[in-house]
Amino acid sequence: MPKWAMVIDLDKCTGCDACAVACKMENNVPIADPAEAQSGRAMFWMDMMTTTEGAFPNTVTKRVPKPCFHCDDPPCTLVCPVGATYRNPEGLVAQIYHRCIGCRYCMAACPFTAKVYNWYDPKWIDGAEVGNPDVSRRMVGVVEKCSFCSHRLMSVKETAHREDRPIMDGEYVPACAESCPAEAIVFGDIENEESRVYRLSRSYRVMRYGEDLGVKPKVYYLSRRTET
Amino acid sequence: MEIKRREFLRLFGGLSGSFLFVGCGLDDVLDIPQSMIEQARRGPGIETWQNTICGLCPAGCGTRVRLIDDIPVSVKGNPVYPINRGGMCPLGLNALHSLYHPDRLKGPVQRKGTPDHATWESISWENALSQIAERLVELRVAGKPHQVAFLGHEENGLLKQHFARFMQAYGSPNYFQFAPSQNTVTPYSLLQGHLTLPAYDFLNARLIVSFGSNFLEEGSSPVYYTKVYSHHEEQQTRYVQIESRHSLTASNADQWIPIRPGTYGALALGLSYVLIREELYDREFVRSKTFGFEDRVDSSGVRHVGFKNMVLGNYYPERVEELTGVPSPVILQLGRELGNAHPALVVGDQGAIDNTNGTFSTMAIHSLNALLGNFEREGGIFFVDDPPFSRFEPVQSDVVARDGLKQSPIGISEGDVYPFTRFSIEAFTKNVLSETPYPLSVLFIRGGNPLFESLNRSKLAEALKKIPLVVSFDSILSETSEFAHLILPEHHFMERWDAISAVDSIPFAHVGIQHPVVQPFHDTKQVGDVLIGLAQQVGGVVGKAFPFSNYEEELKFAMEGVYKSGTGAIAAGGAGSLWIQYLQQRGWQIGRYSSFDEFWDRLVGQGGWWNPIRKRKNWDVVFKTPSKKFEFFSQTLKKALDNLTNQSGGESGTAQNYERVLNRLNISARGDTVFLPHHEPIPHEPDMLFHLVTFRVLPVRDGQGAALPMMQELFGHSANRHWESWAEIHPETAAINNISDGDWVLISSVVGSLRLRAKITEGIMPSVVAIPFGLGHTSLGRYAKGHGVNPNTIMRNLYDQLNGKPALQATKVKIARAT
Amino acid sequence: MPKLRPTTRKLVLLGTIGGIILIAGYFKVFLHSDLRQPIQYNHKIHIESAGMTCVDCHESVLVSASATIPRLEICTSCHSGEPISDSPEEPKLLKFVADGNEIPWQRVYSVPDHVYFSHQRHVTDGRIECATCHGNIPDFTQPVTSTFMPVMMESCMDCHRLNGVTNDCLACHR
Repeated sequence: MPKWAMVIDLDKCTGCDACAVACKMENNVPIADPAEAQSGRAMFWMDMMTTTEGAFPNTVTKRVPKPCFHCDDPPCTLVCPVGATYRNPEGLVAQIYHRCIGCRYCMAACPFTAKVYNWYDPKWIDGAEVGNPDVSRRMVGVVEKCSFCSHRLMSVKETAHREDRPIMDGEYVPACAESCPAEAIVFGDIENEESRVYRLSRSYRVMRYGEDLGVKPKVYYLSRRTET
Repeated sequence: MEIKRREFLRLFGGLSGSFLFVGCGLDDVLDIPQSMIEQARRGPGIETWQNTICGLCPAGCGTRVRLIDDIPVSVKGNPVYPINRGGMCPLGLNALHSLYHPDRLKGPVQRKGTPDHATWESISWENALSQIAERLVELRVAGKPHQVAFLGHEENGLLKQHFARFMQAYGSPNYFQFAPSQNTVTPYSLLQGHLTLPAYDFLNARLIVSFGSNFLEEGSSPVYYTKVYSHHEEQQTRYVQIESRHSLTASNADQWIPIRPGTYGALALGLSYVLIREELYDREFVRSKTFGFEDRVDSSGVRHVGFKNMVLGNYYPERVEELTGVPSPVILQLGRELGNAHPALVVGDQGAIDNTNGTFSTMAIHSLNALLGNFEREGGIFFVDDPPFSRFEPVQSDVVARDGLKQSPIGISEGDVYPFTRFSIEAFTKNVLSETPYPLSVLFIRGGNPLFESLNRSKLAEALKKIPLVVSFDSILSETSEFAHLILPEHHFMERWDAISAVDSIPFAHVGIQHPVVQPFHDTKQVGDVLIGLAQQVGGVVGKAFPFSNYEEELKFAMEGVYKSGTGAIAAGGAGSLWIQYLQQRGWQIGRYSSFDEFWDRLVGQGGWWNPIRKRKNWDVVFKTPSKKFEFFSQTLKKALDNLTNQSGGESGTAQNYERVLNRLNISARGDTVFLPHHEPIPHEPDMLFHLVTFRVLPVRDGQGAALPMMQELFGHSANRHWESWAEIHPETAAINNISDGDWVLISSVVGSLRLRAKITEGIMPSVVAIPFGLGHTSLGRYAKGHGVNPNTIMRNLYDQLNGKPALQATKVKIARAT
Repeated sequence: MPKLRPTTRKLVLLGTIGGIILIAGYFKVFLHSDLRQPIQYNHKIHIESAGMTCVDCHESVLVSASATIPRLEICTSCHSGEPISDSPEEPKLLKFVADGNEIPWQRVYSVPDHVYFSHQRHVTDGRIECATCHGNIPDFTQPVTSTFMPVMMESCMDCHRLNGVTNDCLACHR
């Protein structure tokens, strides 16, 4: 059974936000209107974390694209009272919207703030309604998050099964990886030693957020900067 | 409407359980054509992909549109198109929202009432076009075809040629383009004699020093340069960014060197000093291929100072430090680095050129490339050939057209300012208002939003009001088109035919084919077709200039030339460097097609054509100057100033005239230095402490992206200011003025003031305030209107006096905490 | 159970019934008995007499996610111009054909948008008979107005369990 993981090369990434938009468009993530966005309710499954450090003129701006890390030992699934979020056998941490009761325990449990909550009836402000028919639209009162574009896996699996072969490396990629102009996001099966993700995850530049928490995130970052 | 919307949502993966769906959205208008809803209801859910070229900015990225039952549902990059290779920018990924935008005009409209109290009435295409054609015929009969002007935007390649052809056949010299890149070519033409912008071989350079060029965000093709940047890991390229603000490019560079706005040229000359003093420059190239480096004595025995001694005498590191604020050790180190890394490339754009001294600064920056011998070699600079389009029959002009074309163009100033401009919005405004040399009767505006970007908004608005017939092709009513009498909305890029070629600074010849991936949603037309229609209605030689029934046919004809040339190839997979090497060995002889139709089908299917192989050019093609060399001492500039001096009237002596010309052009240098790259001080107002700089971000670019809600949301996401503008202020400055992060501040110039929130950041010089450009719309649809501020409205009306480029970094401001 | 006053008890009862009706309505437990199709289409005649198969009209059942309700075009390949039967329903069809209007068939089977269901996967790959879910359609002399197997998660999961197919949420939910 494959185990899906992502590698983001921060040395290549410029922080252009293409991944964030590719994700919003792919997954029908609602647009927050001005007041809501300003109060911190802009919804991004793939978020660009920006921090500026160091004193002028030795300023360093770090831009880190942050999807859900799909932890191998996810703290969010432990606290869900209704089983709406769970880790599936392929390592994807799923969110089943129609089971979610909106208690937001999982949001509190996630150390990476990867989950977002539908505070209002979702707004796909006029003209933005035509969305991706492969992804359902969520409703008010449920938690949602990056799914590693698991809807794409469904059709990839079907094709592979029909052609009686395993899924090839690079066949199943989420929208962010596909659209990244810097080719900084690589996605694949971390347990397949032939895959790019496997190779890159063993790079000397690799690091993961929250490794000390023991949650085993499956998003690996590559960076020359040691302290990232 | 509500029913339609609800049903569509359901059909297209809408909400399950419609009781959940109550009054959401800011408005309940939805712009899905009825036929599409029918289609969605009936359709078997068949998925298709179509390749086209993104038209939201001029960068020309190949896109793939996913359609389900012929309804576009998503957009991604075309992995085989050579410019972007599958990558996309946030704006391009959001293209569907511009297609479905609820404020797109449904068909041609006519204004009733004044621009301030306008009502817009629908009008049929026939009626609108015959009104215009009637006016065009009248003007021709009266022998005044020059009173028609066409203001384009960033079109290039075939469409530009199409517009030019229309104006030429009609008999008007007034086809201009209002675009940020319009006059950037001046310094290159002064030094190198070229009238096109150079392309840079980033891929093979070891060191890239960028003067204000925010190529990852504001350049002519951010996606291409992001792709190139991302390869630096393997290439070990070092990036140095010189800029007042810690921009996206600066934060990705290996080193950021903050610099006082308006002094980029001085720093470039300081680096020249280091290269010359330490003899790190390419002596062979400078000796044989440049003019004006050493001192010389001309034919009349007058001694002229050369670039070398001018630099050595004036731009020693201590003085440059004083001018620029860059410490002299940094200058020395960077100069040495430049001299020792081969190849090292120097580029200048945006920050460096958007100032009153932009031309001279860019000359100084580009001179570094000459010192390094960066021409016609790997990791250097070169000029790209145009794609081999078919040649069109020359326009047969009649007497009326010939006389009209002899008139002086209205968008280029008469007299002694802007001698090198291709189009100056300031000169245009003044000329229209004063009716010199003649009044303007008809103005076509296509693309862009001149009024929004203008530094002299009220005067430009007045000028527009003065023109009896203004025709716009906008698809959403904008600040500018509010002043139009007729709006003839053009197709969305997914609905039209076009060829995108010759994108600035892309280092290979390319043609991308835009083709209709979807039937037009509204009663719109392609601008090319509108002009063909008008030409035919005007008739005579004008009609004959377009022997095509529509623009698609013209496009096909042009591409036949590309087919017949047998060069290049249709974009295809596997185009890595090994693949190109393989093709090179075989003489690049792939892509033989049995017929043009086969070529055409593949071309449209794949998205475009390109030719990465470029023949080495002879030096007389690389340098088209009078001396056929790179001219540190610009003879072109000398000749132009001599002409202006002679023109400016004879009462007083030549010396006084010359002095007057220099003063009018704001040139403070005297003697030979005038014609050499040098630093010109900016005419700052005395009591203001801070430089105002603006920058453009990827989602909104020149302001047009603000029409899209998702781009508005993303606009200030990194600054935590969604849907609004902010002012970046250094912590020291903030502390002195008692400002905390998120406070409301008042930024005031002599022109006006803006109220916006502060963002305290270490990523800006203490003497600089930065405001993003793109928001602050008073029009452009429901999502753009009323969010943020437009920093251009408080800028002083200053321009580069040589080419008329707006000086976007020349204004100084005060900062105060607002209540 | 705590002792409640009769009125409260009545209220609770009413509420419960109301709730059940609402929930049942949502999950479409009450079948579409009131659903009327525009033409009293006879599957049996088409299959037995005309020798047609399901795929002839429900074109994409083998190759795509949705089976598709037939377009008018499919009817017109046989029915155009003169009637070819003495059925009173045929003139209705011919009227649609003459006007060029699509027949407003009422959709009976649909899955909510958060579920991914592919006919191709079930029929082509899984070799499941149409009748398993849709009943013995070749015997239908009336058009379909109600579901044979209720479209409920339970039905899906039971069958998956029986056939040893994954019941991972992400296999179907999106």
